[in-house]
Amino acid sequence: MVEKFTTEPIELPPADHAFERCDLIFYGLDHSGASFEARVFVDPRGVNRDAGSDHRAYVGSFFILGHGGCFGEVGHCDIPAACDPFDLRPAHQLEPAIRILTVTDPVRALLERDVKAAKVTVVAETEGRAANDVLAFETVRLATYA
Amino acid sequence: MSGASPPAAQLAPRALRHRRSARRLTQGQQEDFRQAISGAQAVGDDRGYQYWAGIHGLPLPISCVHHRELFLPWHRAYLYFFEKALQDRVAGVTLPWWDWTNHSEGVPGPYARRKANGRKNPLFDSPIQLSGRESPGQKRTTRAPGGPGRLPSVTAVEAVLENRDFFTFQTQLESIHDGVHVWVGGTMGSIATSAYDPLFWAHHTMIDRLWYLWQLRHPGAGVPASLLDRALAPFPMTVRDTLEVSQLGYDYAAATAAARGPGHG
Repeated sequence: MVEKFTTEPIELPPADHAFERCDLIFYGLDHSGASFEARVFVDPRGVNRDAGSDHRAYVGSFFILGHGGCFGEVGHCDIPAACDPFDLRPAHQLEPAIRILTVTDPVRALLERDVKAAKVTVVAETEGRAANDVLAFETVRLATYA
Repeated sequence: MSGASPPAAQLAPRALRHRRSARRLTQGQQEDFRQAISGAQAVGDDRGYQYWAGIHGLPLPISCVHHRELFLPWHRAYLYFFEKALQDRVAGVTLPWWDWTNHSEGVPGPYARRKANGRKNPLFDSPIQLSGRESPGQKRTTRAPGGPGRLPSVTAVEAVLENRDFFTFQTQLESIHDGVHVWVGGTMGSIATSAYDPLFWAHHTMIDRLWYLWQLRHPGAGVPASLLDRALAPFPMTVRDTLEVSQLGYDYAAATAAARGPGHG
């Protein structure tokens, strides 16, 4: 778990590719700990930890309501690895989350600056900035819709 | 957010109850609702406030559905049964909704005052009384709200309502929902404890209302068929049962008033 993460550069759509909407989709987000705001930045070089929502590369925030820790005994919050097709019990509470951030205008602005690829930086902030090491996700994907 | 025109409500065979904006409750409606909440808080068994708050989080098991595909249907069922429990205390009360897109105030007045009518206001906070050994480390609910300007904007909510795909709509609405939990802070800032705060219900009623508005706006869209027969444990409902709020006996109105007719005698 980290408080800030910057991806490798992600290719932006070609300048001649018309689209109506562009989303950043975060897969595999952890929500086991404290709740937090995740500020998201898209920039060719990435941004530093202290960048705020007034930064030029800021494209929006998503939020995670967290479970606030484990209240069970050892193993209670371990997500089962096996997938039994006859197991009709509800999914484990901590199955990872997805967040979708619409970034159409910021990506268009980058394309107008002739940017071909950009890094996605995510900075997590919890209440009172008490413990910001709450950020974990599997993948982030940039998707355009024509 | 402005309300929408009432479609099914006017055609429903029975009189629907209206869920109203918390900011527009009359003094009498506020008093009825406070009585229902305090009445539920005084009951220590499975009709009481602690039992219903505990379904969402602690004590284990945590039954709420977050960050998964049944987020909206599960919480609609949850609100429905909690509202029924309140109506057992005071007939006819409904859950108010907190329009947090209106930034003229943060926590709405009926929930923000420590006292109401010279008595302790049961909407301001609540005890947290857990059975079992899990401890959230709190005995009463607390809040640490930010400035109202940081609450979600009308523009942000409108953008989410424009989604035609249910999963995209739900995922983006849940992020906004999570942001309001974070904004309120304190007890509301954790899945484990949030439902103990009386404000939780007004927040989730707003979320339910936004789903309702989305349903009106996109009548051709909807919950995927693969989800319709999924159960919403522990409630005796499936997703399909939650789709029509008029079938659950309620509707949303910015404000409403009524007068008796002559009857049929």
